[in-house]
Amino acid sequence: MAEVSLRHIKKIYPNNEKKKGKKGEPQKKSNLKVTAEGVVAVDDFNLEIADREFVVLVGPSGCGKSTTLRMVAGLEEISGGELLIDGKLVNDVAPKDRDIAMVFQSYALYPHMTVRENMAFPLKLKKVPQDEIDRKVNEAAEILGITEYLERKPKALSGGQRQRVAIGRAIVREPKVLLMDEPLSNLDAKLRNQMRAEIIKLRQRINTTFMYVTHDQTEAMTLGDRIVIMKDGEVQQIGTPQEVFDHPANLFVSGFIGVPQMNYFNAKLVRTGDKYTAELDGKKIEISAEKQARLLAHNVESQDITLGVRPEHIALFGEGKDMFHGTVDVSEMMGSSVHLHLQSLGQNVIVIVQTMDLQGVHHDGIKIGDKIAFTFGGNVVHLFGKDGKNLEF
Amino acid sequence: MNKNTLSAENRTKTLLSVVLGIICVIYVLPVLAVVINSFKLNTYVKSDTFAIPTGEMYAGFSNFIKGMTFGNYPFWKSVAFSAFITIVSTALILLFTSMAAWYIARVNSKFCKTIYYLCVFSMVVPFQMVMYTLSKTADTLKLNTPWTIPIVYLGFGAGLAIFMFVGFVKSIPIEIEEAASIDGCGPLRTYFSVVFPMLKPTMISVGILEIMWVWNDYLLPYLVLDINEYRTIPIHIQYLKGSYGTVDLGATMALILLSIIPVIIFYLACQKHIIKGVAAGAVKG
Repeated sequence: MAEVSLRHIKKIYPNNEKKKGKKGEPQKKSNLKVTAEGVVAVDDFNLEIADREFVVLVGPSGCGKSTTLRMVAGLEEISGGELLIDGKLVNDVAPKDRDIAMVFQSYALYPHMTVRENMAFPLKLKKVPQDEIDRKVNEAAEILGITEYLERKPKALSGGQRQRVAIGRAIVREPKVLLMDEPLSNLDAKLRNQMRAEIIKLRQRINTTFMYVTHDQTEAMTLGDRIVIMKDGEVQQIGTPQEVFDHPANLFVSGFIGVPQMNYFNAKLVRTGDKYTAELDGKKIEISAEKQARLLAHNVESQDITLGVRPEHIALFGEGKDMFHGTVDVSEMMGSSVHLHLQSLGQNVIVIVQTMDLQGVHHDGIKIGDKIAFTFGGNVVHLFGKDGKNLEF
Repeated sequence: MNKNTLSAENRTKTLLSVVLGIICVIYVLPVLAVVINSFKLNTYVKSDTFAIPTGEMYAGFSNFIKGMTFGNYPFWKSVAFSAFITIVSTALILLFTSMAAWYIARVNSKFCKTIYYLCVFSMVVPFQMVMYTLSKTADTLKLNTPWTIPIVYLGFGAGLAIFMFVGFVKSIPIEIEEAASIDGCGPLRTYFSVVFPMLKPTMISVGILEIMWVWNDYLLPYLVLDINEYRTIPIHIQYLKGSYGTVDLGATMALILLSIIPVIIFYLACQKHIIKGVAAGAVKG
């Protein structure tokens, strides 16, 4: 029930390199920037979250997504910038006074309390009358389907049930912002899918703003209204799931979103007048009008580029003039589709082939070692400059 | 595995059982001697130490009555002082060291590390090394009464207790405390509502160790307390000696038996928790 604004948020961990330096090589965990002040874990993070929006922070481990969330929670000090919840500056406000709730990866339930006591605890601290506490706890328990476990201790529950209790403890408070730090990472694959669906349902039922951290791009795509993709403490792109999938801002985003990963080729972008074509292996790829216009708007010149194509956008064909040729190296059967790893153009190319088309015809005749031809259109290619940035941006 | 190695293994096992059995007997023997001799007439204690008290040796409960009424210092007073000192000292140790350990485990600073290593170091310093300066200090600071001696015990007990508590707190995921702070707890509330209940297994094991130590301790109260006014049970037993060094061994044994009964009962009742508590810090739950 609140807007959250993160303006130029920064997190710097003071340097301990001097001490470590004596023992040997300075330990560098990742590609985080190191300045005179210390290690920059989050750098210049800007995000305006609307009321009731579901924002997902996603990125590889160590990218600063959890740190950002913990700064919003107040568990981590903010080194620079402004954090506003509901228009109020809360940089120096204690976690308990921020009117937020948080769900942790490790559930963080109070082991000595029953499920009911766990869920009632934040309300008790707020001095809510007992009958109201009971009503709210029962209501939340019903939403999450944990009514029958209310009198049990957390250790008598399974992982999925524990996580429900943790979510229950967070929602009984009706917080302004609900923070979730990889809540599904400790669950097995099946349960994770199930809980993901439940979070989507939950989201429709309660009026609150969500901030959700995950390293799983599927979770990010399915849950988020908007996704924030981070790497090495810096925001790479902010956008709706469709936007980041269709128009990745740079090589990192294009590779992070989408499974299997995008294929990359070393190619050339050729500009003739106001017309652009991509050249790969001597073959010309016509670029779609929409992309042409954007390239022109940025006045992009001819240059060497990295050309990206998603595996699902590559089509297999018989022989043809403008086809690329490859040999099937590995074939991974997924049921509804087959992932083919081709040796082509001196590299590995992944292609997704549906096993059955709409007419019910099976395409299961491709074997390892087969030579096949493939192609892709100019509307599905992504053009990245030498610095890794998408040339359309 | 063939038969030979199997039988070799069995032989080793048998040998080990015998050796451990003998060690057990050696440990139990003094306790057994105390039990037997507390029911024996004084004159037979020295001559027939390990004989079962039958016939003319059997003294019934006369040793117990004699021990409790001997001298001009009432036995119940010693029991009361012992009980008071033990309970208050243990309570102080549990409360303060668990709080301190929580702080040491959670705040990563040089100060905390120093305190922690000082505490660990204090465990290896033998009491005899510091006892004279200690008794002098205790006198100066007026810590030489049963009402104040728990503070001295707090100091001596802190080393082991902090060591054990720190080990356990480190195994508690910090997210639980973070969740508490988001749910609306300040530090004190977090400690009493969340951390304290989670420390229960370690509380019990530290409590048992401290209770057994304080209850049985002889040297510290002997050095610190004014013996004419305040006696604990071990000191009381020591004063069963007559003026010319004559000792009523039967009565002494009887009182020793009385004094160890509570400890044994207590230990048996809490045995399960001791093992649990000691292991609790070791394995991440």
